[in-house]
Amino acid sequence: MDAFNGRIPAGIWGLSAVLLAAAVMLPFMLSPFQIRLAQQILLFGGMAVAWQMLGGFTNYWSFGHTAFFGLGAFAAGLLAQQLDPSLSVAVKLAIGTVFAIGLALVAALAIAIPVLNLRGIYFAIAMLAFAEILAEITKTFDAFHGTSGFPLPALLVPGLTKVQLFYFLFLLLFLTNIAVFVWLRRSRIGMGLTCIGQDEDTAAMLGIPTERYKLVAFVLSAVLTAIGGVLYGYSLGFISTGSVFRIDISLNLILYTMLGGIGTVAGPIIGAALMIVLTQVVLGNLLDLHMMLTGAVLIAMVILAPKGLMGLARKAWDRRRGAAEGRP
Amino acid sequence: MNGTLLFQTLVDGLILGGIFSLSAVGFSLIFGVLGVVNLAHGVFILAGAYIGLWLKGALGLDPLAAIPVVFLVLAVIGGALQRTLVSAAVQRGSLMTSLLITFGASLILRDLLILAFGPDIQSLSSTWLLRTYHVGGVVIDGARATGLLASLVLLAMLAIALHAMKVGRAIRATAQQSFAAGLCGVDSNRIYTLTFGVSAGFAGASGIIIGMINPFSPFDDAYWTLNAFVTVVLGGVGSPVGALLGGLMLGEISTLSSQYIGPRFPNVFIFCALLLMLIVRPNGLLGNAYKASV
Amino acid sequence: MKKGISRRSALGGMAVAVTAPAVFGNDSAWAQSGSTIRFGGSLGMSGRYAETGLNIRQGYETAIKFINEQKGGVEIGGKKYRVELAIVDDASDPARATSLIQRQVDGDVSFFLGSYGSNIVLPCAGITEAAGKLTVQVGASADQIFQQGYRNIFGFFPRASRAWVTSIEFFKSIAPKPKSVSIIATNDAFSKANAQAAAAGCKGIGLEVLDLLELPEQVSDASSALATIRARTPDILITTTVDQNSLVIVRQMIATDTNVPLLYQFLGPQLPMYRESLGAKATGVIMQLPWEARIDFKDPIFGSTKAYIDYYNKNNTRALSYHTVGASSCITTYVEAMRTAGSLDPAKVRNALAATNITTAFGPVKFSPEGDGDAIVMGAKIGQVQSGQVQVVYPKDVKTADLIYPTPVWAKKG
Repeated sequence: MDAFNGRIPAGIWGLSAVLLAAAVMLPFMLSPFQIRLAQQILLFGGMAVAWQMLGGFTNYWSFGHTAFFGLGAFAAGLLAQQLDPSLSVAVKLAIGTVFAIGLALVAALAIAIPVLNLRGIYFAIAMLAFAEILAEITKTFDAFHGTSGFPLPALLVPGLTKVQLFYFLFLLLFLTNIAVFVWLRRSRIGMGLTCIGQDEDTAAMLGIPTERYKLVAFVLSAVLTAIGGVLYGYSLGFISTGSVFRIDISLNLILYTMLGGIGTVAGPIIGAALMIVLTQVVLGNLLDLHMMLTGAVLIAMVILAPKGLMGLARKAWDRRRGAAEGRP
Repeated sequence: MNGTLLFQTLVDGLILGGIFSLSAVGFSLIFGVLGVVNLAHGVFILAGAYIGLWLKGALGLDPLAAIPVVFLVLAVIGGALQRTLVSAAVQRGSLMTSLLITFGASLILRDLLILAFGPDIQSLSSTWLLRTYHVGGVVIDGARATGLLASLVLLAMLAIALHAMKVGRAIRATAQQSFAAGLCGVDSNRIYTLTFGVSAGFAGASGIIIGMINPFSPFDDAYWTLNAFVTVVLGGVGSPVGALLGGLMLGEISTLSSQYIGPRFPNVFIFCALLLMLIVRPNGLLGNAYKASV
Repeated sequence: MKKGISRRSALGGMAVAVTAPAVFGNDSAWAQSGSTIRFGGSLGMSGRYAETGLNIRQGYETAIKFINEQKGGVEIGGKKYRVELAIVDDASDPARATSLIQRQVDGDVSFFLGSYGSNIVLPCAGITEAAGKLTVQVGASADQIFQQGYRNIFGFFPRASRAWVTSIEFFKSIAPKPKSVSIIATNDAFSKANAQAAAAGCKGIGLEVLDLLELPEQVSDASSALATIRARTPDILITTTVDQNSLVIVRQMIATDTNVPLLYQFLGPQLPMYRESLGAKATGVIMQLPWEARIDFKDPIFGSTKAYIDYYNKNNTRALSYHTVGASSCITTYVEAMRTAGSLDPAKVRNALAATNITTAFGPVKFSPEGDGDAIVMGAKIGQVQSGQVQVVYPKDVKTADLIYPTPVWAKKG
């Protein structure tokens, strides 16, 4: 079982350290637009990693992660309006994050018990419905201001521009997501989840506490997504239901993961980078037809690299090694 | 509680539900037979409405008379999509990859619609459809009642085809056990293409009816795909009767909650009903028409 | 094996094609070159309100084309400039909108034309405002936009809470005096804000507001709301819904024989398609007219409203809408402010914009101190469909026809 708890090779550590150093220096070298692109890659790529905590190991594919994203943004934003206006924004953000974590925890636990009993596509649909319900609730009841939207306080830190500041906050969350994911994958839970992904009934029969493992992964994934929502809300400064409860956010997390390669750390990040650069840089200036081209690239990617780019790279690597060792 | 108002609300729900049923049956069939969630379903519906619009403008064809033509055109598009892209995705990746394919296809098809017809709101109505009928204090909307009738006729035709025709039996056999059906000489790839085609055809036909009742624009597709989702989960997967039941439930929940709780509430109730149904009976009221419930 | 390689190379090619412009692409393409004035900004070109997006875009394009081709550019501070349009599609997604707007701000675009929807406009305004860039737009009218203390955002439409001034005066002028009103809105920011403003205005003149019914954002069935209307029989029914929903509601009113003496549809009847699809049944429906083709104004660029319409129709097949004229006039307003300022310095142009008091093809342009359109000067007129045409019925000094009131029941309208 060395895939689960073998040592992480020194090469990977080295590469990670170089990447991290680069990530810290980037915002001081890039233009604000490029930082904004990087922000989105960190935020949505990081959330795709969080999504994978359940969806990457098993067939429990959530089609409604925007539920937790929106929940976080709304919880922190609405709380900020209730807090003493004299509090500093950083404190408001901190309290809001704690509140959002708590709320996401409760919501995830409450919804997990019924939906985690559903299999395959039914779980996906149930999560979609859950996200729609939360979105509709924020729009239907005026107390949540979801229809007309509401402002969030502006966070300022001396010495950093707003884009740089949120870049670092997203980076922090991104690193947390990766750390939790790597820990999860290497833990007993990750092994259990992989078994669940292969055959849940057999796993349960073999004594793996399937319910508990699924619950842990689901809740972790939900809470980390909610924190993403908090930071995103603050970075926009004004949100409505339409800004944070978006089916396309849910779909994009899956899309990034599948494009890059499911079950890997780098996959969702590569997928996010590819799609964000494609839609906002390459096709960004197109007024028409960019949706069509996005669709075409998407289809081409799925047909040409069904296991994602990471899967493709691995295959190429295996082939090269095979050739080097003189095997066919 | 006012009896006439209640009756009126029930009738309104029935009429609305009939239309939801027809619009969802294709989605249901693809889901039941191929296991694929077709995210391009809403675009198929709109494509039907737009082709009807074009036929009306170019040839002066009445929308209802255009249904067979629209059915055929969409069937070809749907069948081609399955044969080329969806089957490739399912073979190379997994069932889940078909989601990305149909999502990508919906983006492309929607842009094609915009290219051909523009982003404007369109309407298929002819004024004769706006007649009103009064039946014992209940007001019946002529256009919508026509839609309901047409939906019931088309659903009945599909039900008969699935049960009485050889192809229909082959479709059901493939859905139950594609491997065993293959042993009996059924070419499952052909059946998959056929199912996709027929389903797209029904989506297109429902597009005509929707277009006669409500104005439409190229961006309504998500709305209709989502409605199909709900209808299928409420009623049951893979059968016309399931779609009918789900559609009617959706219609009734929608009008009853709107009338008695408040017109802004139906969406909350619809999705709560969906979640509840998933938890209690994941395969809908009728269950999966073919496979044993998981 | 062979297949694998070809697939791999295809992917490799794709990856290069996709990433190369990103890495080497250079944002200076956006830069304000010496003799060109670039107008940036975003529009929702793909999404539920794409129709409005296209109308606005055509208005911008018409003005740009006219200035460059017919006028040979504009002269500001003694120097001749060409004008150029660089708008992008925000797809109504705030993440995409903010990043694309940032790209233009980085590329030294100083003059922005706005999108619509406050969840897009406000985050973008945060960026442009902080960078000292200007925005003039003809889409968003939410109160929140003009309550942030932003100095550089201007809008043609009066903010939602002030958009009903003329309409309320109009209600007062109707004889015999209506006594009650019901309002149907949808659950979206625009519709809700207008419904509340309408309700407040009606109450202010002693009209009884019987119901304020809110439908979901996309209406497919309004039967229950209409059952309520039939039971309550208001004198006036106001809908503050967007075009598509308005049409759903009115068609269902006809089909369910729901009659009111006066039907006021904020948006919808302005569209030719609305009137065509309803035929004679459309007679009597009231609407707001932000712009009316028959009222001629002088325009410093096009000459007059009439000249504008002629030029537009010669170059476009798409029917002219008030959004289109408004969008062209945004650019007219910008250019006039630049001329007055005699400079392209955003701070100077900003002050000239704030002091704007001109007429354009759209009508008079004057901004409130907070930047939205002056409710009296830029307020809408009231129109009514009569024999398939829109007639102005209020205010009295510009009216083209007398008001039909009460309107006949549906069954009597052809």
